[in-house]
Amino acid sequence: MLWLYLHFPHLLLDHIRRSRENHGALVVVEGSGQKVIQACPEARAQGVQAGMRLKTAISLIPELGMVRADHQQEARILEDQARWLYRYAAHIVLVPPDGLLAEVGSLQRLYGGLSAVWQTVEQGLNERQLNAWVAVGHTPLAARLIARTGKGECTADKGHILRTLGQMSLLAAEFDDKTRIRLQRIGLNTFGEVLALPSNELARRLSPETLAHVQKIQGNRADPQTPWQPPHYFRQQADFVQEIEHSQGLLFPLQRILSELEEDLCWRQQDTDSLSLVLRHRHQEPTRLRIRTSGPEHRADAFLDLIRLRLEQHPLKAPVTSLVLLVKRFLGREAATGQDLLGETQDLNEAWQTLISRLQARLGENALRQLSPQADHRPERSWLASDVLARHKPWVQDHSRLPRRPLWLLKGPQALTETPPVWLSGPERISGGWWDGQRVHRDYYIAQLASGQLAWVFRDIGGGWFVHGWFG
Amino acid sequence: MSELLNTLMQDARVWQGHRQTRTTQPAEPTGYQVLDNQLGGLGWPRGALSECLLDAPGIGELHLLLPLMQRVCAEGKTVFWLNPPHTPYAPALAREGVNLNQVVLINTEDEGDFLWTLENCLRSPVTGLVMAWPGKLAAREIRRLQLAAEAGSNVCVLFRERRYAEQNSPAALRLALAPGEHQDLKVNVLKRRGSWPGQCCSLAMNQRADLAFRESPRVVQGPWADQSR
Repeated sequence: MLWLYLHFPHLLLDHIRRSRENHGALVVVEGSGQKVIQACPEARAQGVQAGMRLKTAISLIPELGMVRADHQQEARILEDQARWLYRYAAHIVLVPPDGLLAEVGSLQRLYGGLSAVWQTVEQGLNERQLNAWVAVGHTPLAARLIARTGKGECTADKGHILRTLGQMSLLAAEFDDKTRIRLQRIGLNTFGEVLALPSNELARRLSPETLAHVQKIQGNRADPQTPWQPPHYFRQQADFVQEIEHSQGLLFPLQRILSELEEDLCWRQQDTDSLSLVLRHRHQEPTRLRIRTSGPEHRADAFLDLIRLRLEQHPLKAPVTSLVLLVKRFLGREAATGQDLLGETQDLNEAWQTLISRLQARLGENALRQLSPQADHRPERSWLASDVLARHKPWVQDHSRLPRRPLWLLKGPQALTETPPVWLSGPERISGGWWDGQRVHRDYYIAQLASGQLAWVFRDIGGGWFVHGWFG
Repeated sequence: MSELLNTLMQDARVWQGHRQTRTTQPAEPTGYQVLDNQLGGLGWPRGALSECLLDAPGIGELHLLLPLMQRVCAEGKTVFWLNPPHTPYAPALAREGVNLNQVVLINTEDEGDFLWTLENCLRSPVTGLVMAWPGKLAAREIRRLQLAAEAGSNVCVLFRERRYAEQNSPAALRLALAPGEHQDLKVNVLKRRGSWPGQCCSLAMNQRADLAFRESPRVVQGPWADQSR
């Protein structure tokens, strides 16, 4: 087995930097806010270094952007990276707080050699604007140790790997402090010298745990790893150094997230029809927006367009500190079903979805309705308004046997204020609803009013006269 | 003097009625031969606004558009009803052979949304017909709609009140609708792009209440009739 280890030296910094439009100096400070832990290249160019006191850093760069380290956030970002790596490798192990391990021995044939795997991963890292130190090792621990020293090479040769490990200092080999001091007192300085010791001596003089550690690095002892399983949802978060006050400023990070979503959906061969967008504020409840498309969709442009519309309709109620995009609902991607040689049908389907989604995004979902007849004698209940559904449902029912009815139905019966001069037909008795309490007992007539309108009027059981529809 | 007139005429700076050329614009037949004849054999203009001016619903205004609605649905295009004053009655539409899957009802809250929606519908290739009840509209807004209509090739019919007949409008076709004596619909062409207005015709509309072949009213008189009417 061969293992590939990705060590992210400053993951949080990279994560924040890539959702920023301007590239000002940026540092990550430790939880208590005293010390700089990580500094971006711009900050380093101006003299800020990791380990520096924050006050010193600010006096060097007054407009310094600061982010507080947050373990939960780091774990989440690491998981994002694991989800991305899952495209290339199946067996992935999370090594918190800043590492990913992937089994690549089985991938060599698929990619055509280890160097091809290496290149694919490096390319992906570049596209994602992430800094990572990559290394290959024959055991998980060997890969990890080499990666963390930054001396990773693309080789599957065990001897070469062991030589690289041999030159490593004891500190880099991750012995605990007590063991390291004992080893130094024995007179050992590199890991190679520890490896040269006979194993039973090592266990007797130091401790069995130290032997286990060494053997795990060497590969003489099993080191089982629990594989990570990707979640069944897509979640991306962008955190902002400076709060964003205008919705325009949200579109830039959203664009990146949405194109990642598009890529993710492409890999899954799935579509989605609802996104949920959470905007977090500093002092208020987060704003939750639900963006729905009328049909399965995967294009980032289409989503961005809808979100832009929504944000135009609902201005931000407070400055935004971070945004989260969550997709939980996935739909199987439909193959193009168009029988049309030129593919025109498909285009129309897409255009329909785009139009309906746009309208729903601006007007709200209840503004658009579709009608259908219902089997009921009562005029109020013989129709139904429902949400707009996908296009091209078959329309097979034969409705020519339905009775003659007006094209306009009033929203409720209106009192008839005049005596119609012309009576044309009637009465038609409609009586029903005794089964559900909505009793209707009426005689319907067709009459022409003095204004020339052709009305559908009825007289109910109480003797009142009402207009219920117009023959438009 | 005549020399002056000749120069003006040769420069084509004076428009002359008899030299008027017939313009051909894309159009959809209305389905009523009488009306088509009055509209130069064309019908509803496509890619332009049409206006129907009427005072009250129930005079056959929907039946005027029904043949077009049926055709548009059969072609698989969509009919949008934008802010209708009453509910389109689904069983009646289904009975007339309108595919209700192709009918979408939209209600907007304010005028900005109305114009935006109408523009979006007009520009989309899925739209076949848009029927809109705008209420009050400024001439500038109708101009904006006219431009949106030109971007697509759909029929767009605005239903407005008769009193707007005096207000000028960039719509390509304006019809004033009034009820006739025998449940028919009198159509008066107020404006027609590329030709003379002023034509009148009357369309028989009594089929809309199944009254076509019944000369005498068939109201059964009940014992209550005299008291309550």
